[in-house]
This record gives sequence, structure tokens and C-alpha cells, in this order.
Amino acid sequence: MPLDAPVREEFAALLGPADVIDDPVRTRAYECDGLTGNRVVPELVLLPRTAEDVAGCVRICARHRIPFVARGAGTGLSGGALPVADGVVIGLNRLDRVLEIDVENRRAVLEPGVTNLEITAAASPHGLYYAPDPSSQQVCTIGGNVAENSGGAHCLKYGFTTNHVLSIEVVLPDGSVVTLGSDSMEQQGPDLRGVFLGSEGTLGVVTKITVRLLRTPEVMRTLLADFPSVAAGGQVVSDIVAAGIVPAAVEMMDALAIEAAEGATGAGYSLDTPAALVVELDGTVEECDEQFALVKDICDRHGCTRLHVAGSPEERANIWRGRKAAFAAVGRISPDYIVQDGVVPRTRLAEVLERISGMGDEAGLRVANVFHAGDGNLHPLVLFSAADGETERAEHLSAGIAELCVEMGGSLSGEHGIGTDKACSMPKMFGEDDLAVMNRIRAGFDPDHICNPGKLLPTPRLCGEKPGRYRPHPLEEAGLIDRL
Amino acid sequence: MTRAAPTTLRPTTPKEVRDAVLDTPGRLAISGAGTARHWAGRPAEVDATLDLSALTGVITHNPGDMTVSVHAGTPVRDLQAELAGHGQRLALDAGRIGRGATVGGLLATADAGPSSLVYGAMRDLVIGTTSVLADGTMVRSGGHVIKNVAGYDMAKLLHGSYGTFGPLVEVVLRLHPVPKATACVAVDGPVADAARHTAAVVSSPLEPIAVEWVSGDPGRLLIRLEGGVDTLPGRVGRLVDLLGDDAREIGDDAWSGHAALTAGQPSTDAPEGAVVRIGCAPARLASLVAELPATGVTAGLATGVATVTVPGAAVAEVHDAVAAVGGTSVLRDRPDALDAPAWGPAPSALALLKAIKTQLDPGARFAPGRFDPWM
Ligand SMILES: Cc1cc2nc3c(=O)[nH]c(=O)nc-3n(C[C@H](O)[C@H](O)[C@H](O)COP(=O)(O)OP(=O)(O)OC[C@H]3O[C@@H](n4cnc5c(N)ncnc54)[C@H](O)[C@@H]3O)c2cc1C
Ligand SMILES: Cc1cc2nc3c(=O)[nH]c(=O)nc-3n(C[C@H](O)[C@H](O)[C@H](O)COP(=O)(O)OP(=O)(O)OC[C@H]3O[C@@H](n4cnc5c(N)ncnc54)[C@H](O)[C@@H]3O)c2cc1C
Repeated sequence: MPLDAPVREEFAALLGPADVIDDPVRTRAYECDGLTGNRVVPELVLLPRTAEDVAGCVRICARHRIPFVARGAGTGLSGGALPVADGVVIGLNRLDRVLEIDVENRRAVLEPGVTNLEITAAASPHGLYYAPDPSSQQVCTIGGNVAENSGGAHCLKYGFTTNHVLSIEVVLPDGSVVTLGSDSMEQQGPDLRGVFLGSEGTLGVVTKITVRLLRTPEVMRTLLADFPSVAAGGQVVSDIVAAGIVPAAVEMMDALAIEAAEGATGAGYSLDTPAALVVELDGTVEECDEQFALVKDICDRHGCTRLHVAGSPEERANIWRGRKAAFAAVGRISPDYIVQDGVVPRTRLAEVLERISGMGDEAGLRVANVFHAGDGNLHPLVLFSAADGETERAEHLSAGIAELCVEMGGSLSGEHGIGTDKACSMPKMFGEDDLAVMNRIRAGFDPDHICNPGKLLPTPRLCGEKPGRYRPHPLEEAGLIDRL
Repeated sequence: MTRAAPTTLRPTTPKEVRDAVLDTPGRLAISGAGTARHWAGRPAEVDATLDLSALTGVITHNPGDMTVSVHAGTPVRDLQAELAGHGQRLALDAGRIGRGATVGGLLATADAGPSSLVYGAMRDLVIGTTSVLADGTMVRSGGHVIKNVAGYDMAKLLHGSYGTFGPLVEVVLRLHPVPKATACVAVDGPVADAARHTAAVVSSPLEPIAVEWVSGDPGRLLIRLEGGVDTLPGRVGRLVDLLGDDAREIGDDAWSGHAALTAGQPSTDAPEGAVVRIGCAPARLASLVAELPATGVTAGLATGVATVTVPGAAVAEVHDAVAAVGGTSVLRDRPDALDAPAWGPAPSALALLKAIKTQLDPGARFAPGRFDPWM
């Protein structure tokens, strides 16, 4: 049912007509996020400028049971910000102020539309920075990061968004405003802050975020090392870990990903190597130097064919520019591609990559691999051509890869979230009871099901009726867990 | 109406926990090792206690992945001993671990120790949980990998739940390497001086693992560093130089006094004073604790978390003083006869907390009284 005129007027009275978009040419700009294959043009787009107005918008939605979808920069890769038919999109970009950099307490207070990189930009004059660094950090918002519990290359050592957010102000789906979390790690009762982190916009709209800032490390040492195979690179990662070293980042790229990234950035990657590792250590001079020497030895032991140590901040930035551009760069070597995101236990990396390559061969499609090797978080990029009718095959292959990760004792998603993209795969990872309890938690926040409905959890409408009988969980079959 | 004395059930497997929940009508208390039995709200009358101290043992340890899954009643002390053989540890140093506290109990009480400055609290170390709800549902969330954003993070809901949503039966934890070397640098002085030293340390590049002031005459700031055998002495030297003349390296046993002040009493003794755990913005902590009528204090001047021992009659005043600086507080051990509020002012999300409680435990069977007077 389309929104009727009186409701539109309520929004216009609250925000002013200029901040309520219903012109189809303009609402179309909001029809999808980074998962561009799924599109729904929203009825209305609301662009509040204050937290009070966000709450006002949600209260109107609650009164009329209008579904709403919060949106940051729209860089999400799982369809989390996909609009809902007959619903509204609440765009948070105009809440974009850094409210406070509290140097004494090493924290920042932010509005949700502040971009990830702006936090570090505001903190760096004080020798501080914000640790989680998604590759999309120039554009993605801290509100979106909170909703997705985003990660980045440096999360191996420093943790994910959830480990850095102290408290959040949230407009609940009934329009009430609460604060979750506190000024320290102590809280009053259960960690509802932590439940909200990674909830993909399904539990409310975050309007203010307090994050921890870290002191910039004394030194950073970065190397780029080539290996004769992805398996050799994987062994290096295992040995680094076994030596008791926790690197700030360990990233791996295979030949296809290197070809794309080097073509796009000219960052200095070798074009003739089957695999390259980026290893970064940081900390005090003493510890960093000692561990860096060890890492170089480990690389040599595993047949490293070229080892390039960044000799200046510019060289370091270059290495990272190549790595962070890898997704988008794949567009240079393929007309279309799907970014997958799955996690396997680090010790099974070599095995899973071999399986993926076999699956690619079977499907007759190329798969490029760029991944956070330190925590087993894979980003296989399935290359295809829509013009040649390969879309369905590519989607099938990509979904198969995510489900393979679960079979290997891993997860459907390490950082991009479930959204609309993987909601129907959730039963591969969780039993019916698990999902039913997640639904009960959601109902505790959102009894009327108006907050980003259809995302995260499978619904019969979205996924078709599921057979009612319990199927053993893949981890149970693998003997990793038992249900009772 | 008089009630029969509550039965104690001692399940040894997750299935027995579920059977106990399904077969025992009425209200249930949950206990682990009993090290925190006096913490938070006083338990209301229950029909039975689920004692999980026999639900123990490692389920799977994957050294290469640095993860371990354990039964919830496993004492962390025992777990550490097992992991140490692989050069690994759970990076949690809550004081009561030494008294046998369990993985489930530490998670349910959101406990943490000095090294939470770097490694975080239990909430940052748990990557998966299985628990039993009031209707017998076994619910699993998270998994066996460190990085995972599939579904809601139930582990966080159970963190600080004090058993109110039901018993945890399995917990999956991320592990860290045991440091090659550890050192402790101390500097004596009152909390105000310690705060000044703390500011210097945290803005230095020396990467302290823990920074805690312990009360005494005149009190002492303890700073822990971790690192390599050959490299640590150099950093200790830099730290001593940074702090000034009277700073010096001391033995690691300095931390045992800290643990004694935070770990609570052996459950048989009634403690002398009431122990309150408080948290606030770190830079406010020193002046806050200086104002309290405390007889014992440990203050994490870089984390904002402190444990204070005060006369029982002063508990309400402590809650008020902490709330006035925007902090949070909860009563831990207290004399048996003390009638004092367990919690400070209710959080703004109380209605939400109640709604979730109703969703998961509609009959309010679990841990009645723990969040008294809020719910
Ligand atoms: C090239 C590229 C590289 C990427 N690299 C990474 C990476 O390295 N690591 C990583 O984790 N992700 C990565 N991503 C994914 C994406 O950038 C992150 O998920 C990011 O956090 C999304 O932020 P956003 O502001 O774009 O959110 P959106 O896409 O607008 O929204 C994402 C979700 O958050 C919700 N949401 C947004 N704002 C709010 C709010 N204020 N309150 C409540 N819910 C809200 C939305 O409803 C939606 O469900 C990448 C994406 C791209 C395109
Ligand atoms: C009438 C009555 C008699 C009792 N008698 C005893 C007794 O003799 N001995 C005794 O130890 N306790 C007893 N209890 C329980 C006691 O009051 C606390 O609930 C319990 O001891 C606190 O847990 P803990 O200190 O053992 O474990 P800790 O391991 O320190 O746990 C502290 C908190 O965590 C919760 N918790 C512990 N393990 C889990 C888990 N696996 N899943 C979810 N939550 C968990 C507890 O409910 C408690 O809130 C009794 C309770 C009642 C009402």
C-alpha cells in the first residue's frame, strides 16, 4: 500500500518539505547498496539533520506501522540497506558531525554519518587513531560500521568495530531513545550494546556513537612477499602465529587479484607471482624490530621469491593502496563480479582455496582471491559476464562458496553481513531453534516488525517454505559440536 | 506459605542441564563455583539451584586457530593450565580466577581484570555460546572462528546477565599467545599522582598491558608490560625513565594484593565491608575514588574501572556519586545482613531489557532477584 498523502505531510511538517524526497528520479538513487543486483525504489527518502528528527521520523513510522530502512553511505555488500517496498529510507548522511575528540579519555563522540576515515583524521593531530579500517573507509559511515560490525585489515590484532565502540545512542523501533553501553567496559547488566553491534539495521537506528581511540604506534613495519603458491603463503601465516606473533595485519592476494590491483594502482606488486602476502607489524621499536626479523626468516623458509620492505611511509601507503583497491580493480579484468565474504578456520585456508578453485573450474568461471589471511576471512571474487548470460551460474557459485565455509567449520560472513543476500543461507549455519531465538530477540526490540524487515533472518516469503524437520547442523556432522 | 528447601541439581552434560530445566518446575538459580554468589541483587527464593560446577572440560582446542570450546562450568584456572602447554592463554586476569571461578560465571558476571585495557573483557574474548532457555530450547550463536558477523551476537546478551536468561552450557573463546616475558613497574603515591603518571604512560608509545592503582599508605601504581625476553628490559628502562626517580621494577607478585581486593571473599566468610565495582570515563576515576569513604581501592586509571570496599552503610552514596559522573556501579560481596541497593539508577534501556527477558524467559524462572530493584 503506497504511503498516503497525510502521512507524507507528517514527515514534511517534521523535517521541512525539502528534506523529504519523493521525486522518483531522486528516490531512485537509493534503490540499492553495494549489492547492486537487488533493487527496490523506496516510496520516500527522509533526510533528517538531527537525532531528535530521526526519533521523530521513527515515531511517525511506528504510529502508522510503516517499515523503515536506515542508510549510511550505501556501501554495504549484503543488501542491508535495500529499501523495503511501501517503506521509507532514513538517510543519516546529514548527521555528519564529529561531536567531540576527548583526548584525555582517548575517545571520540560521533554522529552516525561521519565517515570512518574522518574519525582518524580528526584524532590524528592528537597522536590518536580509530583502529577498525574497512577498505571502504573513505566513504562508509560509522553508523553503517556499527550496524555491520565492520572489520578491516588491522582487525587481527586490534579487533572489530564491536571491540571499539563504548556506547551508542539508539532510536528504538517505537521511537524511544536509549543509550546502550557506557563510558567504560563496566555496564549495567547485559551487554545490549554488543547485541546491537552487527544487527544490520534491524534493531533500531543509531544516532550517536562513542568510540575508543588508540595511540598511534611508535613504529610500523610492512613487507610485501611473493610466494610460489597460495599454500606456501598460508604456511607462513601459520608459522607466524605459532611463533607467538600477532601481526597488525596479514593479507593475501592470488595472481588474478594481483593482476587487477596492480593494473589499477601500479603499486609495485609482482605480476608473475601466484601469491603475495602483505604483513604488517606495529608497536614499540624493540618488539617490532625483533618480530620483523623473525617474520622475514619465516618467509625465507617457505620459498619467498621476492621480499620488499616498505622503506618509507609512502611505500607503505602504496602497498595498502594496491590491497584496498583490489575489489574495485577486479572490474578491469572482468565485466562483472560478485564479492563473496566467508570465514574458515585459518588452518583450513589451503584446503578451502583448493576446493574453491575446483568449484570455479566446474562452473567454468574464474575466481580471484583477496583475503584477511590472519583470521581466515576470505573474499573470493567470482568473475562473470552478465552479457553472456553467466549471472545465474556466478550467483550459484558464490553462494556455494559461502556455504562451503560453513561446512569447514567457519561462518557465512566475516564482515559484510547477511542482509538480504544471505538470509536464506542462514539455516546452513544455524538450526531452526537458534534462528527462532534470534527472532525472539528481534521481537524484543521491534515487536511490530517495521525495522529493516526481511533482512538478516530467513522468512518464508523470502526463502520459500522450509521443510519443518530438523537437519543436522554441518558442524555437528563434522563432529565439531553436538546439539545435546 | 512455606517452601521446601531448594533442591540442588548437578548436571554433568548439556543434555542433563536441559532435562533439569524442563523437569524442574518453578524458579531456578544458577551457580558455577560460587565465587560470586553474593554479587549483584540478592537471589529471591527459588525452587532449585542448577549447580554447573560438574559441567566441565575442554570440548575442542584448535591451537593453530587459537580457539577453544569448553563446558561452561570449567574453572578458568584449569583451562589456563591446559592451554599453557601450547603457549596459549585466555587473556583474562579477573582476580577471582585464582579462587576457581568458572568460564560461565565470569561471562555471566561480565568480570574482567587489569589486562582488559588491552585484551578487553570477557565480551571481547567470547566468540560463541550455547545456552538453555526456560522452555528447554538449546540456542547457539557465534561459532568457532574469530571473525563472524552472521546473526545476532547472543554471547553479548549473556555477558553481564547474571544467569537471568538461563544457563550457559558451552562457550567458545579466542586465545592469545602467552607473552615471552612480563614485567611490573611500580611507583608509590596517592591516586592523584598515579593519575598524572597514567596520563604520561598512556600517551607514551610504551604499550602498557595494565595500569592499576592499589590503595595503601600512600598507595601504589602498578604497570604491566609484556614483550620478548631480550626486548622487554629496554622498554622497562624507558618506562622507569618516563615516570621519574622513585619508579622501579618489582616482582610480579605485586599483583596478588590487587587480586585480593577485587576477588571477593571465600564464600564462607562474611566480608567486613561492601565491595562495589564502578566504571566511568577514565580521566574522572581518580577524583571519584578519592571522594569515596573507601577502605580499599583498586583503580584502573586507564580503563575507568575500579573496585572499592566501603562500609555497608555507604553503598547507596557510592551509587549516587558514580551516577553523578555518568558512571555505572554494582554491588559485589557484602556482609550477609546488609540491606543495600545492588545497582545504581536503572539504565535508559530498562524497558528493552524487560522486553527481551519476557521474550526469552516469559515465566521469569531464572535468577530472580539479580536485577532487583529494576526487574
Ligand atoms: C569497495 C568496498 C570495500 C569494502 N571493504 C570492507 C571491509 O574491508 N570490511 C568491511 O567490514 N566491510 C567492507 N565493505 C562493506 C561496507 O563498506 C561496510 O559494511 C560498511 O560498514 C557499510 O557502511 P555504510 O555507511 O555504507 O552503510 P550502508 O550500506 O548504508 O548500510 C549498511 C547497513 O547498516 C544499516 N545502517 C546504516 N546506518 C545505520 C544507522 N545509523 N543506524 C542503524 N543502522 C544503520 C543499514 O540499514 C544496512 O543494514 C566494503 C564495501 C565496498 C563497496
Ligand atoms: C536458596 C539458594 C541457595 C543457594 N545455595 C548456593 C550454594 O550453596 N552454593 C552456591 O554456590 N550457590 C548457591 N546459590 C546460588 C548463588 O546464590 C548464586 O546464584 C551463585 O552461587 C552465583 O554463581 P557462582 O558464584 O557460583 O558462580 P559464578 O561462577 O561466580 O557465577 C556468578 C553469576 O553467574 C551466573 N552463572 C554462573 N554460571 C552460569 C552459567 N553457566 N550460565 C549462566 N549463568 C551462570 C550465576 O547465576 C551468577 O549470577 C543459591 C541460591 C539460592 C537462591
